[in-house]
Amino acid sequence: MARPARRPSIGTIVALGLFGTAVVFIAIRFVYGLGAIANINDGYPWGWWVGFGVMSFISFGACGFTMALLADVLGIHKYEPFVRPTMVLGLLFYLSYVIILGIEIGRPWKAWIIFFSWGHTSALFEIAWCATIYTICLVLEFGKLATERIELPKLRRILVAIYLPAVVVGVTFSHFHQSSLGTMMTIVPLKVDDRWWSELLPATFLLTAYSTGFSVAIIEHVLATRYLRLKPRVDLLASLGNLQLVVVGIFLFLRFGDLVYQGTIASMLSVDWISLAIWVELLVGFVLPFGLLAIPSIRNTLWGPFAGSSLLIFGNLMMRNNITVVGMEVQTWQTYFPAAGEILTTVGVLAGTIWLYTFLLRVLPIHQEEPLDGPVHADVSASAHGLARSAEATA
Amino acid sequence: MPKAMIQDNSRCIGCRACMVACKEWNGLGGEHEAEDAEFFAGDGYQNPRDLDPDNYTLITYTEKPEDREWVFGRQLCMHCLEPACASVCPTTALVKTEEGPVVFDAYRCIGCRYCIQACPFQIPKYDYDMGIFPEVHKCTFCSDRIAADLEPSCAKVCPTDAITFGERDDMIVEAERRIASAPGFYEPHIYGKDEVGGTSVFHLSTVPFEQVGYTTGLPMEPLPDLTHKSMRLVPRLFIALLTLFSGLAWFARRRLAREEAEARAELQEREQI
Repeated sequence: MARPARRPSIGTIVALGLFGTAVVFIAIRFVYGLGAIANINDGYPWGWWVGFGVMSFISFGACGFTMALLADVLGIHKYEPFVRPTMVLGLLFYLSYVIILGIEIGRPWKAWIIFFSWGHTSALFEIAWCATIYTICLVLEFGKLATERIELPKLRRILVAIYLPAVVVGVTFSHFHQSSLGTMMTIVPLKVDDRWWSELLPATFLLTAYSTGFSVAIIEHVLATRYLRLKPRVDLLASLGNLQLVVVGIFLFLRFGDLVYQGTIASMLSVDWISLAIWVELLVGFVLPFGLLAIPSIRNTLWGPFAGSSLLIFGNLMMRNNITVVGMEVQTWQTYFPAAGEILTTVGVLAGTIWLYTFLLRVLPIHQEEPLDGPVHADVSASAHGLARSAEATA
Repeated sequence: MPKAMIQDNSRCIGCRACMVACKEWNGLGGEHEAEDAEFFAGDGYQNPRDLDPDNYTLITYTEKPEDREWVFGRQLCMHCLEPACASVCPTTALVKTEEGPVVFDAYRCIGCRYCIQACPFQIPKYDYDMGIFPEVHKCTFCSDRIAADLEPSCAKVCPTDAITFGERDDMIVEAERRIASAPGFYEPHIYGKDEVGGTSVFHLSTVPFEQVGYTTGLPMEPLPDLTHKSMRLVPRLFIALLTLFSGLAWFARRRLAREEAEARAELQEREQI
């Protein structure tokens, strides 16, 4: 199908513009130091880049392991339509988290030294190993998808054989990777407000990784089927919503149980910013979506799970930023509010990630749902575009 | 044998010779305060306000409200027996040495700043203005001097013997002796003896420690234990989960293969009819 040369869409211009802005800030950072583009200081050495960038991108990336766990490990094959999109998206989020980490840590070219150290008492050591191994697994899984339409029988046979072991190893490492983000904050009981600090942080981080993973899978499905003009699987969204109810239910039970057990629930009633932050996080970010998803007439629609998932992602972002920034109490004169440079680098990398994903959606057989307009117009479906394009490229 | 140091604030006259000696020995730069910067922090002549990459130690100035008398405190790395900073360092750039100092090796540092986050005394400081070679800076306990059988430069230079250096066990005895010898004069607490599992720097004070800028309310257990509580479960949990997931995936794959074979057989049957 001959297509006229297209002008880039508004989405492309915005996404690449944001990414370009991020690149400029990154260049400034490597010349003048972190302080030139960030407000982080010795009281708040991590700030937004860790709270929003690293911790949240990793939780977005949880979409990959949660869906692989459901479909490939537990063998619930009805969730198969989610496996490819979330695997690709998970890989992209992991790569973008590596970019943020490359800006955020002071000597990124030294990062390899972690693998030649034995810092096994450090949660960060665990995170580095798990993240690296999981990313390798994702690359192998992606290799199987990317070579699907390429005539490389030998490589293909290896990739197909390696797929399931890669999934199993990846899913296992993901559990430790996600929970160790919580472990990371257990060593600062005095700095993190006791309304957030808990020995259960590894468990709550793993549970919110699940809820965020499900949420990203749902939101991706709704938006991508719309973008590609495919039939969304509302039935599957509702059953994912059911699973979210279980996960969020356990999370809320642990969270409130811990607040009561530690006796800090009383301080939640005090009137201060920290109390406001925790109430917004728990009520808007977890209780409200739990209520929404619990109502069948909302859960069994296209946009009901979408709305619930968006709120759950909001709650997860709040939780991670609250623990690393809002709930941090250091010296009285030390304050922190993210600088434009910190926000724009993260947003730029996120925009680039989403743009790259929409590009991959068009060129790879990621979504295989039925076209919205019926099989007659199958040739205008986006993956067909990709086929046509790769045919053009080879010709 | 592990060494330790007593910082007896009752003997301190606020001359800051320790700060100067520290800069000299470690080759640290001077202050470059902007003209409009607040030169003195707090009530007295304290400068700078906090430790920074060029100040490994700092005398704090506090005015007592009742008689407007100055009392001093001192900030420096406590050289914990089980340091949180070293336990969280993923590359072992920070290590606790046998003689007592917690030392930093810039070659191994990746700049993750987890040590800064984890330190309960907020000691390590970072070069936020360095593009590609930022480092973590903190008191070294003059580990190079200790290795040469010398006392740290701050202890060497102190004109009023407010800083005493020696074997850790002897220093505990000495600090206890001082508190016992002058009842009611000192706060009856050796700051650093048991805090976060014990440190190598002991502070004595005549006023409550929280009034002179010391972090109080610290747990008496080593902080690395908190992370260890969950980290120690990792190896066994990992093996358990990997086995579980492998088994489940194997069953799932086998079931799928069987279902596919059945479907194929059904299709063939239908074709034969």
